[in-house]
Amino acid sequence: MEMEKTTWNLRIVTTGREPATAYMRKHQFTVGVPLQFDPEYPHITALEYALGALAADIVGGLQVISHRRRLKLDNVEAVLSGELNNPLTYLGVVGETGHPGLERVNVTVYVSSTGSEEEIGLIWEEMLQKSPLVNTLKRAVKLDLVMKVVI
Amino acid sequence: MKKTVIIGSVLYDPKVAVIWEIISDFFSENGLPVDTVFYTNYELLVGALLDGHVDIAWNSPLAWLGSQRRSGGHCRAIAMRDTDRDRVSYWVVKANSGFQDVSDLRGKTVAVGAKDSPQATLIPLGYLDRQGLLPGKDVQVKRFDLLVGKHGDHIGGELEAFRSLHGGEVAACAMIDLNWQTWTQDGTINPNEYVVLATTERFDHCVFTVRSDFPADLEEKWLRVLFSMSYDNPKHQEMMDMEGLKQWLPARTSGFGPLASAVNTFGFFDEVVS
Repeated sequence: MEMEKTTWNLRIVTTGREPATAYMRKHQFTVGVPLQFDPEYPHITALEYALGALAADIVGGLQVISHRRRLKLDNVEAVLSGELNNPLTYLGVVGETGHPGLERVNVTVYVSSTGSEEEIGLIWEEMLQKSPLVNTLKRAVKLDLVMKVVI
Repeated sequence: MKKTVIIGSVLYDPKVAVIWEIISDFFSENGLPVDTVFYTNYELLVGALLDGHVDIAWNSPLAWLGSQRRSGGHCRAIAMRDTDRDRVSYWVVKANSGFQDVSDLRGKTVAVGAKDSPQATLIPLGYLDRQGLLPGKDVQVKRFDLLVGKHGDHIGGELEAFRSLHGGEVAACAMIDLNWQTWTQDGTINPNEYVVLATTERFDHCVFTVRSDFPADLEEKWLRVLFSMSYDNPKHQEMMDMEGLKQWLPARTSGFGPLASAVNTFGFFDEVVS
């Protein structure tokens, strides 16, 4: 028997200039415009959600795997910075070249644990192999992922 | 249907787009819709103004001169910031240099910004020329051509010029008074280590520019809305702080003399079209 494909289904709705609402399972969240340059913009943008999802995938993935390996990670924190190829193209600046897509994403993950660096390193490697978003984005952008063990 | 006024502007930093969003929203609220089109350099912007793709161009002073030159004088300056008036540029030297006036720069190397920066290159070099120091002959010029085409809007070249002074590569550097004020306050420049050796003539900076055929009634309505923006309005204050003004004022063209003189002296428009 052929295995049925697993899909994730979301519904996203927006009305006028209101932020979009994404519905999935029994949950929902709102998303602002694709991206914004105004620090006072009151909503989370689609780009920020995407970057946040990547970082959450990494830190959450580390916790899931470490739990399976019975190694306690006390604290996992990721610091992420993303860079577009040319943000001016998003604004339609005449004469600019390039594209508004992500060019580079740097993520530094700080892990504190009583485990050895070798044990944590194995969990990190397994996370990299199993992360859905890392494995998607590494094919599209320059993804620089660094893990640091802190006491 | 109401005519939508199209404003053209050069954009070098996406954060600047926020300024135009606030301005556009305010004009829409006042029944005078505007659209903003961004350009990567002033050459494109001036071309768009003269070709009728935009109604109003937010021009640098060099772009204003370029607009007049290319249109045969058929453009009008209609509005400017209060801070566009009566600017000066400084020649800055190390406090321990022993220099007393610009004549002490003879035989030395000085640093300037991008080749099309009115405030950090053209006007300061024009000043030296009028003081009897011909750039390239009596003083050597080290130029920092960052983001050419944006007429020095981007401060990178000006900052690099200062860094070359700081590093001891040159004897003096040029900068606009506003950057001297900012950089001596934010720690970029230690005011105990650097002094202003000379100050250029006063000059004016950016202007909203229209073609001479821009309808007078529409111009009047547009200016009425622009001039009603108030620093007391928190939203306008955010925009005005970002754009560096407290009040919009009617334009004047009497403050472009030093730049026009420098442009003629150095044959700027013979070399590039702007």
